Amino acid sequence: MGQTVLVVDDSPTMRQMVAFTLTSAGFQVVEAGDGKDALAKLSTSLQPALVVTDLNMPVMDGLTLIKELRKLPQLKFVPILMLTTESSTDKKAEGRSAGATGWIVKPFNPDQFMKVVKKVLPE
Amino acid sequence: MSSDLSQFNDAFFEEASEHMTSIEDGLLQLEQRPSDLELLATIFRSAHSIKGVAGMLGFTGVAQFTHKMETLLDQLRNGKLAVTPPVADLLLRCTDVLKALIGEAKGGEKPDAAQVGHLEQQLADCAAGKVLTANQAPSAPAPVVQVSATTGPTALDAPPHPMQFTIGWTPPGNIFQLGLDPMQVIKDLRNLGAVSHLKVDAGKLPALDTMDPEQCYLAWSLVLDTIKPQEVVEAVFEFVKDDSILSVLDTTPDPPVAAPSAAVAAPSPSHVRRTADDEGDVKPLGAILVETGAVSQEELNNALAQQKKVGEILVEQHVITPQQVAQALETQKHAEATAQAKKSDTATIRVDTAKIDRLINLVGELVITQSMLTDLGKNFSPVKVPLLLEHMAQLERNTREIQERVMGIRMLQIGTAFQRFPRLVRDLAQKSGKKLQLVTGGEETELDKGVIESIGDPLTHLIRNSADHGLEPPSERTAAGKHEIGTIRLNAYHEGGSICITVEDDGRGLNRDRILAKALKQGVIQEGEKLSDDQIWQLIFQPGFSTAEKVTDVSGRGVGMDVVKRNIEALGGTVGIKTTTGKGTIFTLKLPLTLAIIDGMTVRVGNELYIIPLVSIVESIQPKTDTVRTIADQAELINVRGAYHPILRLHQAFNIDPEHTDLLESILVIVETEGERVAVMVDELVGQQQVVIKSLEKNFRKVPGVAGATILGDGTVGFILDIRGMLDLTRRSELKVA
Repeated sequence: MGQTVLVVDDSPTMRQMVAFTLTSAGFQVVEAGDGKDALAKLSTSLQPALVVTDLNMPVMDGLTLIKELRKLPQLKFVPILMLTTESSTDKKAEGRSAGATGWIVKPFNPDQFMKVVKKVLPE
Repeated sequence: MSSDLSQFNDAFFEEASEHMTSIEDGLLQLEQRPSDLELLATIFRSAHSIKGVAGMLGFTGVAQFTHKMETLLDQLRNGKLAVTPPVADLLLRCTDVLKALIGEAKGGEKPDAAQVGHLEQQLADCAAGKVLTANQAPSAPAPVVQVSATTGPTALDAPPHPMQFTIGWTPPGNIFQLGLDPMQVIKDLRNLGAVSHLKVDAGKLPALDTMDPEQCYLAWSLVLDTIKPQEVVEAVFEFVKDDSILSVLDTTPDPPVAAPSAAVAAPSPSHVRRTADDEGDVKPLGAILVETGAVSQEELNNALAQQKKVGEILVEQHVITPQQVAQALETQKHAEATAQAKKSDTATIRVDTAKIDRLINLVGELVITQSMLTDLGKNFSPVKVPLLLEHMAQLERNTREIQERVMGIRMLQIGTAFQRFPRLVRDLAQKSGKKLQLVTGGEETELDKGVIESIGDPLTHLIRNSADHGLEPPSERTAAGKHEIGTIRLNAYHEGGSICITVEDDGRGLNRDRILAKALKQGVIQEGEKLSDDQIWQLIFQPGFSTAEKVTDVSGRGVGMDVVKRNIEALGGTVGIKTTTGKGTIFTLKLPLTLAIIDGMTVRVGNELYIIPLVSIVESIQPKTDTVRTIADQAELINVRGAYHPILRLHQAFNIDPEHTDLLESILVIVETEGERVAVMVDELVGQQQVVIKSLEKNFRKVPGVAGATILGDGTVGFILDIRGMLDLTRRSELKVA
C-alpha cells in the first residue's frame, strides 16, 4: 500500500511528470493546480506523507501554501519539498523559514527526484 | 535512466503554445498598462512554466532562452526595471524566437542561431545594464553552495580511496516542524559508509515539565568511514545545514600511498559502473577522463577527430562496399525522417470532461436501444411493427446525437485563432506608420479544429490587405473627417449551418474604376462587358491581380487574394465582399461548421442522385411558360419575382439522360453563393438528409462542379454539388453567348 503524495504545480505537464515519477515508484498521487486547490483537497480526509509544491503559481503561491500547511495539525511534521529553479536560490531560505523541508532543483530526472524524496521520507 | 519522460512531449507542446499565447497577449496589454503587476506576474509564470518543463524534457535550447527572458521579466516584476516600449518590443521579438525554438524541439526547422544569440545578448544587456544604471549594488552571488539534485555528488573528482570524517551535528530545535527526522539523516550517513563512535549529547535536554515534546534538544557526534568525498557527506545535511551547528572534519588517518592516478588512467569497469550509478546515466569514457583531469577537453576532441567512422573501417577491411555504406546511411536518414514526421503528426486536443461524460452516457443509451432491437428481432411478428418503428426512431435520435457530440469534441472556440492578430496589427501599424486598432468579437463561436487551423493564413492575409490597401494614413483620414485611428474589426458568428467570419475596415473602400481598368488591362474582362458590382469585387481574387501602385513590405509577399480565395474554397467555404467608397470594406468568409458532414437536399436527375448543400438553397420552383426566357437560342433565364437567374440544366452539365428535358415539367432549385444565384434544373426533389462527405479528389480526381461524394442509404454513391462550380459552369456558357 503506497503512501500518498500531494503534488502542487500550475503546469499540468510538470504535474503529470512528477506524478508519473512518483506512481512508478509505488506512491499514490493527488494533484493540485495551486495552493488554494491544495488546501481544498486537504480539507477532506487526505493525509499525505509528503507534499511537493511549485513556488510560482497563480491564486496562491508555494510559499504561502507552505505557511498554511504548517498551521494544519495533520501537516505539522510532514515533509514538504519545493520545486525551485536555479534562479530562485534566495527562495530556498525563504521557503525554509516558511517551513519547507527541502527543495528539488528543476530540471531533474526521475532518478534524481526519487533520491531527494527518499532523503526526506523514511521508509 | 529508469523512466522516460518523453511521453510528456506532446502535453508540453500543447501547454507551451497556451503559455506562448498568454505571454504574447500579456506583453501586448503591458504596452498599454506598463505598471500592471498582475499582468507581469502572469507573463513571468508562463515563461517560468515553459522553462521548467522544457528543462525536464531535455529541450535545453528552449529552457536556456526562456531562462534569459525570465531574468529580465523578474527585474520588471520586482520593479528594478521599468516597462518601456523598447523593453516590451524586445520581449515580443523574443516570443517569436521562443516559438521558433519550441518548433525546433517539435522537430521543425532550427531557428537562426545568430538571431537567437543576438536576442540573448540584448536580454542580458537590458537586464544587467539597467540595474547598474539604477545604481543598485550588484547582488552578491548566493553564498550557498548549490549541492542540488541536478549537480549530484561530484564523486567523479575523487578516486575511491577510504576517507574518515568526524562529524558533530546539533540540529535546529524546530527540525520536526520542518518535516525532517534526525534519524533519517543518520541513516543517510550510514548509506555512505560505516558509522562508529555514535554518541548522543542530551545535555541540553530540559526537565520533563518544561520540555516541549515537539522540540529537538539532542545533538550527535560520530565518525564516518567512507569512500565518498567530503561534498557528498555534507550533502546529506543539505536541507538543514544553515540552521544547524555542523562540523565535518576530515580525519583520515594516513593519506593513501598508492598513486590514485593509476586508477584514473585506466578505470576499471567497476569504477565506471559506480559512477554511472551516482549520476543515473552512463558517461562516455572520454567525459570521465576529462572530468578526472587525465586529459583536457581539447586533447579529447583531437583524439575523437582522428577516430574513423565505422563505415570507413569496414570498407578498408573489405568487409563491405562503399555503396553498401551509402545505402545504409540512406536507410538511416529515411528512418530518422519518418520518425520525425511521426512525431510532428500526432496532434492532441484538450476536451472538457463534461463533453466526454455526456458521450459515454449516450453510448450507453445506444447499447440499450441496440439490445431492445435485438430482442425484438428474435421474436418478431407483424404486430410489432409499430414497436419496431419506435425503436428505430430511438436509434436515429441516439445516432444523431452521438454524431453531433463527437463533432463537438473537435469544436474549439475561434478565439484561439484570433489570438495572434493583435500582435499582427501592432506590427503592421509600426511598419506602415499608420494608426491602427483591432476590435474582435464572437471569440466564443465554436468551429472545427481543422478549420480553425486552416483559416489562420487567409485571415492574416485579409488583415494585411486591410491595413495596407484599405486603411488610409492618419492625415488622409482626418482630412476625410474620420478618426485618425483606423479600425479593423474581426468578427465571427453562426448563420444557419455555417459560420461567418468577417474582416471589416473603415478605410477608403474598393476603387471600382481602378479594378475595372486593371482587369481590362490584364484581359480578364473585355471592353464594354457589363458586370455587377459584386462581380467586379470578385475580380480582385484573380491570380496576380493587384491594384497597389507599389509592392509594399506589408502585403507584397507574393501571396495574393487569389490564394485566400483558393484556401477558403478548399475548406468548402466562400469569400464575399461588400464595400462602400470612403466608408470601408467587409470581407465575409462563410465556412461550413465541420468538414465532415453537411445537411443536404437529395435531388434526382434520370437515374442519378445528387446532393445540394442545404445552406446554398434559396428555394425550389416549378417554372411556368411566361417566366422562362431564352437568349440567343442558348442561355436560358428564369424570372423569379422580377429577378432573372441563369438556368443550369444538370443533365447537360453531367451528360446524362434525364426524365424530363422540358423545363416546364422539371423542378428548378435556386441556389446562391456570394450573392449570385443560379437555377439548377432537376427531375425530382428526393428529400433532405445529413450526408457524410467523402473526398472525391483523394479517392478519384477533382471533377468540376462536384464538391465531394457520399454513400447514400441504399449503398450507392451520390455526388455533392459544388455551388461555386455550378455558377462557373453557367458563366462559361454565358460568356460564350456574350
